[in-house]
Amino acid sequence: MSIFEYNGSALVAMVGKNCFAIAADRRLGVQLQTIATDFQRIYKMHDRLFIGLSGLATDAQTLYQRLVFRHKLYQLREERDMKPETFANLVSAILYEKRFGPYFCQPVIAGLSDEDKPFICTMDSIGAKELAKDFVVAGTASESLYGACEAMYKPDLEPEELFETISQALLASVDRDCLSGWGGHVYLVTPTEIKERILKGRMD
Amino acid sequence: MRRWLVLRYWLLPEPIAKITEAGDTFRKGIAVPHNHLLPRRSALPGRVHHGGHWECWKCIGISGKDGVVLVGERKVTSKLLQTNTSAEKMYKIDDHVACVVAGIMSDANILINTARVQAQRYAFAYQGPMPVEQLVQSLGDTKQGYTQFGGLRPFGVSFLFAGWDKNFGFQLYMSDPSGNYGGWKATAIGANNQAAQSMLKQDYKDNITREEAVQLALTVLSKTMDSTSLRSEKLELAEVFLTPSGKVECQLHSPESLDKLLVKSGLTQPAAEAS
Repeated sequence: MSIFEYNGSALVAMVGKNCFAIAADRRLGVQLQTIATDFQRIYKMHDRLFIGLSGLATDAQTLYQRLVFRHKLYQLREERDMKPETFANLVSAILYEKRFGPYFCQPVIAGLSDEDKPFICTMDSIGAKELAKDFVVAGTASESLYGACEAMYKPDLEPEELFETISQALLASVDRDCLSGWGGHVYLVTPTEIKERILKGRMD
Repeated sequence: MRRWLVLRYWLLPEPIAKITEAGDTFRKGIAVPHNHLLPRRSALPGRVHHGGHWECWKCIGISGKDGVVLVGERKVTSKLLQTNTSAEKMYKIDDHVACVVAGIMSDANILINTARVQAQRYAFAYQGPMPVEQLVQSLGDTKQGYTQFGGLRPFGVSFLFAGWDKNFGFQLYMSDPSGNYGGWKATAIGANNQAAQSMLKQDYKDNITREEAVQLALTVLSKTMDSTSLRSEKLELAEVFLTPSGKVECQLHSPESLDKLLVKSGLTQPAAEAS
């Protein structure tokens, strides 16, 4: 079994019209045994920038702490928030620093630019970026997420429709994966507000 | 072993030669007493090199029971100098600490960067904000290092730090180029700080509120300035306080909110702005 599948995770981000949504499951397991059912793997960098870290939970937490460190220094020096593209480059660089002993994480980055243009991207554990216009997925449930998103996604969805789509895609996918599930955590970000919602799914 | 000794002997004379060249100001082992490193040499007390111009200014800090206030006077030395609307002397070190600089700006930038990195390192290691005194001390250690060894010049910078931490609440520190620091209820650094200090000694009362502290700082600044009118482009103001939700906040005032404050304190006339 791969170390990426040790804790189990499902992570997805979608682009709508001037908005984006990022969602993850809430399970933290050790192989097939569930340890926690309220685990957070999506982190807020600033009001319009989120990062979800799938893979090994311990690496995800350390990686997040390093990102906070770098992001905070950037904020203090530049007196502004980081652009999503810039942040993606930073994450990529930090991951590649550990090219031969990587963090066992596959990040998903989602953000809104200053012009309210949504940005989503994912990368592998050594920082190779993959940009997308529609949706990105990561984690142990990524295969089923691809299927669900391909079937359900439509471009230019309004925020509430986008929330419905991403939630249905996530819940449908985690039911097909033993290592993720136990409800979901969704962030819906528009230029004016952030909505955070917790989904109830099959709790088994 | 023998080889090593020879090498060391060969390395030593270099810095000594440099020290003698630099003259008494940079002599080995002498702590520079105050931020007069450059001023003394150029015989311009309280003047500091900045952006290609000699600038002269002062900073005041006052701590109250519900917040700390930092005020800095900025001086427009030349008509041709591009006026900078954003802060030049006030820096946020972390969410809970702000500082104001008196001294050589290029030196200060290095130290501010070190302080910010230090604060973030602490937060990374312990997942919490760095205690204010520890931050001031770590910067003092850096400064001290440059007073001890030959060949290097000390940092020509004094700081006022305003901060809050959960153990000691609101705090105000002054740190000088030798690395010495001390906690204060109210203090002033930079040009003409003697006059400001004695005014503060007279007018400061224990347990003043943040608003009163702002008033006092502005009054002292306006009375110890050479020019008659206090305007927003001539000053910078930062406050550290707790929001109603209990979160600590550093607020740097914009020129607009400074104008409002000045009108409120009766130091400028509102009519002057309208015209």
